Amino acid sequence: MTTQTETPSAPPFSENDLQRLVELAQLVTSAQDALSDDMVNRLSSALSEGITLLDRLTRNEGFTHLLRELDRVENQRFLVCMSNAFTEATRELATAPPAAGGIGGLIKLMSDPGTQEGLRLLAFVGARMSNSLREVHRRGL
Amino acid sequence: MRILVVGGGTAGTIVANNLARRLAAETRAGKVRLTMLSASDRHMYQPGLLYVAFGQMTPDQLYRDQASLLEPSIDFHVDPVKQFMLDKNQVRTESGKVHEYDILVIATGSRMVPEETPGMNEGAEFFYTEASAVKMFKRLREFQGGRVAVAVGVPHKCPIAPIEVMFALDDYFKARGIRDKVQLKYYYPIGRIHTIENVATWAKPEFDRLGIEYETLFNIKEVDAKNKILKSEEDIDVEYDLLIVIPQHRGMEVVERDNLGEGGWIPTDRYSLAMKGHDNVYVVGDTTNLPVSKTGSAAHFQAETLSENIASIIKIGAPVKDYDGKVYCFIEAGHERATYAMFNYLNPPDLKPPSKPMHWFKLSYNQMYWTSVRGLL
Repeated sequence: MTTQTETPSAPPFSENDLQRLVELAQLVTSAQDALSDDMVNRLSSALSEGITLLDRLTRNEGFTHLLRELDRVENQRFLVCMSNAFTEATRELATAPPAAGGIGGLIKLMSDPGTQEGLRLLAFVGARMSNSLREVHRRGL
Repeated sequence: MRILVVGGGTAGTIVANNLARRLAAETRAGKVRLTMLSASDRHMYQPGLLYVAFGQMTPDQLYRDQASLLEPSIDFHVDPVKQFMLDKNQVRTESGKVHEYDILVIATGSRMVPEETPGMNEGAEFFYTEASAVKMFKRLREFQGGRVAVAVGVPHKCPIAPIEVMFALDDYFKARGIRDKVQLKYYYPIGRIHTIENVATWAKPEFDRLGIEYETLFNIKEVDAKNKILKSEEDIDVEYDLLIVIPQHRGMEVVERDNLGEGGWIPTDRYSLAMKGHDNVYVVGDTTNLPVSKTGSAAHFQAETLSENIASIIKIGAPVKDYDGKVYCFIEAGHERATYAMFNYLNPPDLKPPSKPMHWFKLSYNQMYWTSVRGLL
């Protein structure tokens, strides 16, 4: 017959673990004390609307395509350029005198190389968009 | 495949949205057409009416435009059904239009019928419509003390409502500082204080603790509004100063008129949710005659099962799920505490002690409901 000595097993948790549990309980209690019914209502409402918005966006083919296009560096640069252009145009417009009107003013504006470059850009985009729309209609989408 | 959903309440909206999501490809390809007919262009969060009756919500907070809750592929019409012609796979609407279907989902809901109890409309307060909930709130504000009787008619929508009203009344009068001037008494039609035994077992000591009195085996017969006396089928007369009732409910008139089911409740297979005797007609929500609570959560779980089954019938020719009778009811227990009762055909509820986080969960659900009917939760 052999005698087996049992080594006492280690407790399933340490004092540190207990301390952490106490801290967690304090955190929950303080959150409960800090929150009110109105806050819970507002947070839940925002969360609910947020989830709905996220669902709409992630199932929207146009938006997801736009996001894919925005992953391309050149499109991100385009956005930077566009926002810079808006800022500069807003400043210029604030200091520019009001348009005089008449065909002369229009001819003068159209003679400006900057205006011509801008119109050319818009024409390029318009042409591509027109082709793309025609293709979508052709495929019956 | 033409799927017609009749009714734009909780069940109908979830079924339609879930089907639109599950059958998006088939709809785009023109193989499936999904139509909804509803009686209203607005959708009401009905559990909120209890909050309106106690001044905790205003009616405008309960509504959203129905169209804003529906998937764009659903063809939505505000044109309630006037006649079901199940032998021809057709329904006729109020406008006279006839809609044909291959699959019909009936989710027309239920309605309170206080007019069926003599004197109830004149002598009692209730909260199952916007107007009655606002009226009850105004009446509560004027009340300065006395005997408050709460009586329950059967069957009724939301089985937990009678219990919640008692806790809410206790809270309300305490907040106004007149609880000691109010006698709160609860009258219930069967031999215990709630139809679900475990809920009754849980609620009884809560009532005792709050000083809420109760009387069982009390079935409302009539209300003598002039003399403020509530009379029961058991020949008991109760004098009151303020009477609040949970009115008896019925299914919708069109269901009764077309003999689809006694009392407006349509005989429904408890697992497949098919209307008995009609393989291509399904029933969800309050409209069924199932032995489960007439509540939004039952409607939700039924709608989830049904939409998955209809989608799979279209995709693979067979249903994939059975409804197990699941119901999940929050119970607002007063003092910013709540608990819940979850049960199904086989398992009764096991109620936990009320807590503040559960109360907040319920408040959160009041907001998340809109996410839920959109078919997201």
